Amino acid sequence: MSKIVVTGVGIITPLGNTLRQNREALKDGLCALSSIEIFDSRYATLLPFGEIKTTNQNFKDQLNVSEPGVTRTTLLALHAFEQAITDSGLSAEEIQSFDTGFISGTTVGGMCISDELYHDANHNKVGSAYLNSYDLGSVSIYIQKRYGIQGITDTFNTACSSSANALMYGARLIQNGFAKRVIAGGVDSLAKFTINGFNSLNILSSAPCRPFDAERSGLNLGEGSAFLVLEKEEEVKGKKIYAELSGWANTNDAFHPSSISDNGEGPYLAMKKALEVAGLQPNQIDFINTHGTGTENNDEKESIAMQRLFQTPPAFASTKSNIGHTLGAAGGIEAAFCLLNLIHQEVYPSLHFSHPIETTGLYPVPQYEKKTIHHVMSNSFGFGGNCSSLVFSKV
Amino acid sequence: MFYIHQTSCISHQPTFHEVDLENLNRSDNNQLLAVEPKYSNIPIGQLRRMGRALRMGVGTGMQLLEHNQTDGIIIGTANSGIEDSITFLNQILDYQEGRLTPTNFVQSTFNAIAGLLGMITKNTGYNATHVHRGLAFENVMLDAIMRLNENPEHSYLIGGVDEISVRNYRMEAMAGWYKTEEVSNLDLYQTETPGSLPGEGAAMFIVNHKKDEAIAKLRAIQLLNVLEPKAIAAQLSQFMQQHLSDTEPIDLFLSGENGDQRFFKYYAACEKVIGPNTTIARFKHLTGEFQTASALALWLGCHFLQTQSIPAHAVKYIGDRNGLNRVLVYNNYHGEQHSFMLLERGGGN
Repeated sequence: MSKIVVTGVGIITPLGNTLRQNREALKDGLCALSSIEIFDSRYATLLPFGEIKTTNQNFKDQLNVSEPGVTRTTLLALHAFEQAITDSGLSAEEIQSFDTGFISGTTVGGMCISDELYHDANHNKVGSAYLNSYDLGSVSIYIQKRYGIQGITDTFNTACSSSANALMYGARLIQNGFAKRVIAGGVDSLAKFTINGFNSLNILSSAPCRPFDAERSGLNLGEGSAFLVLEKEEEVKGKKIYAELSGWANTNDAFHPSSISDNGEGPYLAMKKALEVAGLQPNQIDFINTHGTGTENNDEKESIAMQRLFQTPPAFASTKSNIGHTLGAAGGIEAAFCLLNLIHQEVYPSLHFSHPIETTGLYPVPQYEKKTIHHVMSNSFGFGGNCSSLVFSKV
Repeated sequence: MFYIHQTSCISHQPTFHEVDLENLNRSDNNQLLAVEPKYSNIPIGQLRRMGRALRMGVGTGMQLLEHNQTDGIIIGTANSGIEDSITFLNQILDYQEGRLTPTNFVQSTFNAIAGLLGMITKNTGYNATHVHRGLAFENVMLDAIMRLNENPEHSYLIGGVDEISVRNYRMEAMAGWYKTEEVSNLDLYQTETPGSLPGEGAAMFIVNHKKDEAIAKLRAIQLLNVLEPKAIAAQLSQFMQQHLSDTEPIDLFLSGENGDQRFFKYYAACEKVIGPNTTIARFKHLTGEFQTASALALWLGCHFLQTQSIPAHAVKYIGDRNGLNRVLVYNNYHGEQHSFMLLERGGGN
């Protein structure tokens, strides 16, 4: 089988608008969780969020978006998509080739526009400009049309593992001969829908989240986007290569719609099968970017699953302590962070940790350090029992 | 490529228990709402909380999973439980983001159908939900093709589901996707106006690489984005050349024509490519138009191959082929998302 390599990265998070800015902030252990300034919500100053402090109008100006009906979710995705294709040096011809796929993951799509949606759904006689922009497909369909993408396009929504699954699908499209290259990743923007949804489940923390800490009290929501350009190794002679996407797996925990089983069966199986696809033994993984949301349920069950598979787990951290949980974008953003681990041979601190969970006793990476890294794993788990793990390897 | 072994379908027609496509159910108020069964196969505590899309998806899925072990579940849905989504959104705005109960939020999670099917049947295998509007189900099929290439011994439950909610209907209608004049589904193809009749439903399939006793074989699919009719016709011609030999004619062209005159040109261009010997049938008067209607087209294709007959009301043109061995389905959604599926009778050769 051909190796699938990453030749381009585009990213935007509350830590910065480029991969370089994100690396600097991660190195410095910056936490971008704050009150909301741009988005309108009752919880704007009551809870911390990972908000990107750029207005929609600024994004539209930067990205030359002048047509009506374009949502923030689409703008964030467009920013990351443009960066990724530029970084990989893809020509317009390559982007428009029937061999180029485009796969995105999102959980909120155009539903970030709640006021217009409310009026369109309930009251309006004449629809707003967003009528065709509320669904999840609208984000990738906008980008598909704007760039004239002709290859396979798709949108995943498997909750918080959406963009990990988009990356996995992209790699498999290439391996199965349905595409030569795929731009894959995901996006989500802050939305009243998700803020109030997670709040109704009592899992939003009123302080910056504390992944894997005994005193953790829930997650923070964030927004962002990341896309990776995946290509067959033999097709990319002379190009810069970030890493190989060497392993992937998706499983189902088959336990509960919104929490993980006691022995972390789904996470365990996802990590185990991803290692099998990569042809690696557990002890070859040097670092894990965990799902690590900071909820009572996730962090303990993920720890148990890691201990079942690795006995003594490798170094691990949760970058959700920097930017919060970006839901459908998390898998893509954390994949980009894994590439930074590999290229720069370094790990970044997991923030706000003081005492380990009593039952598992695991300590995330406490500070920035250089580290020899050959293989990194990234975990993304979502509602509906959805569990995905990706493995990136040094080339 | 995969073989299709068992199917389940809920639609505006009686398709769930005893299938009857001869006596056509008429549209009601310009809509083709699904005829829902009693769902004796869904745990009652869960059934109570479910909206239509979840009921239809879990109901059709369980009908197959009760008798089949699978290695994963792959579902396509553009909107999943959109009624629950909007109900939750309304609560958020009506109560100024006050304390809410999470039921509608959790139920409207887009992967709830695949997740619940996995949970109820304790299936820890691959579990995916594709939501790419009019190509959601096509990506499900492509995903299954790849999973089975990677794991030839596996078996998967695949399906497509979407619901019409009252509020979603409003928005699609305002966007101009539905007929504004009163039209019966019997007259859908005679209209000369934009818009179609909305429908909803679910279709599920057990697919694998086992040839024995298969109902049908999916030989190939293709997904296409925005293109002119001429380019779609060229793609269809290439698709047929690539996947069919000279001795393998298409017996039936199953067309997604939906009465929206803006998109008729695409179907006309494809009919030309198919040629005069092939019978042409249409299905949107049975199912109505929705994003995952192609899942119902696949179900109908399987049913026609199995029964070796096509109801007269579906036939647009009678060709001169004997027998019904190969079906080609062409569908498009909003004239922007196109797909071809090539289906063959039984285990094929």
